[in-house]
Amino acid sequence: MNPIHKKTYFLIGLILLLFNPSCYAHGVDSNTAQFLTSTEGTAIVPFLYIGAKHMVTGYDHLLFLVGVIFFLFRLRDILIYVSLFTLGHSITLLYGVFSQININAYLIDAVIAFSIVYKGFDNLGGFKLLLGKEPNTKIAVLIFGLFHGFGLATKLQDFDLPEESLITNMIAFNVGVELGQFIALLFIVTLLGFWRRHKSYFSFAKTSNTLLMTGGFVLLGYQLTGYFTAI
Amino acid sequence: MNTLPTASIKSLMFSCIASIILAVIILLIAVLPAEYNIDPTGLGEKLGLTVLAQTDEDATIEPTVITCPDSEKEITNQGEVNGWQDSVMITVPAKKGLEYKFHVNKGEKLEFVWKTDGSALYFDFHGEPQGNTTGYFKSFKESNQSESSGTLAAPFTGSHGWYWKNKTNKAVIINLKTRGQYKIKGLM
Repeated sequence: MNPIHKKTYFLIGLILLLFNPSCYAHGVDSNTAQFLTSTEGTAIVPFLYIGAKHMVTGYDHLLFLVGVIFFLFRLRDILIYVSLFTLGHSITLLYGVFSQININAYLIDAVIAFSIVYKGFDNLGGFKLLLGKEPNTKIAVLIFGLFHGFGLATKLQDFDLPEESLITNMIAFNVGVELGQFIALLFIVTLLGFWRRHKSYFSFAKTSNTLLMTGGFVLLGYQLTGYFTAI
Repeated sequence: MNTLPTASIKSLMFSCIASIILAVIILLIAVLPAEYNIDPTGLGEKLGLTVLAQTDEDATIEPTVITCPDSEKEITNQGEVNGWQDSVMITVPAKKGLEYKFHVNKGEKLEFVWKTDGSALYFDFHGEPQGNTTGYFKSFKESNQSESSGTLAAPFTGSHGWYWKNKTNKAVIINLKTRGQYKIKGLM
């Protein structure tokens, strides 16, 4: 077993550990649920909006994306990596909501925070230096995409969806997420594009990715504290 | 895939340690005090950040209904003060929603006035026909207000009342006064 496979199995193990239905109930109260049940049919646009808003204002997803595209210079590469990320989070978003798995939102958000630290460390050349080679970045972005999807699923489950319109609302939310991601990426890619024309982009690359890791660590501490104080 | 070309173990260690130290400082001084009211340095309180976390205590408040004392009812029944039949104080906890219902027969009237202790609440004033299990309901009024009043002439026999949703971080108390031909079903 080579080290990359080991890592993959470790991450899969982590996913399984997080499926702990007994420890977590993060839904809305029953009256709200009752109310939401009666708003079926007209909920496509609201869920589209909720999904887009979650992504545009989701600093954890955005920081990770900044890390991913930091050293991607060709539009084609950006498209490939973002597609892998989208594939990953769509799978687990749909799967997580559909199978009504209760994942602890703090823990899943902690993994998302860790993904930011991971990407910052990777960008700093940390893996190349320590392992001699960089773990496959495409696989990494796909696997972290899976975790980000579970995070999205916990947010959507807050709305305690009615059974009948589950698929419609869920897909609306998912499409909203992609719309929001596209909008956010337009800004990120444009801004990074401008900055890349200057030498400062490269002289600040180390600082930028150190700050990215800092952001990841702050979110990690924030989520883990939430997890341990909520028990 | 590119990474920084000139990574040395020393600069990598520096980046990692610097980011952890910076993160710990931000967490201890700002994030933990403001989000969880955990303030190990005491700086959070000095900066006024712990105030942000304290509103969360409201989340432990349960929905309650306090029926106003009978003495007040007697006065109101006589129509001497304002003629209301029933008066209740309903507490809607922070970030929670609840329903308060009356049974009203078709054609009969429910006159009401309610007012919160400040914040506006999202509400849906609606009725559900008796014996209906499909979840159907007819909405009479849906809005975001801190008070509302009017008279409902029930379009069908069934359960009529309000769904209130408190989107704020603080519990909101509603004073609901009613009169007419109805039976109180109360908190649902």
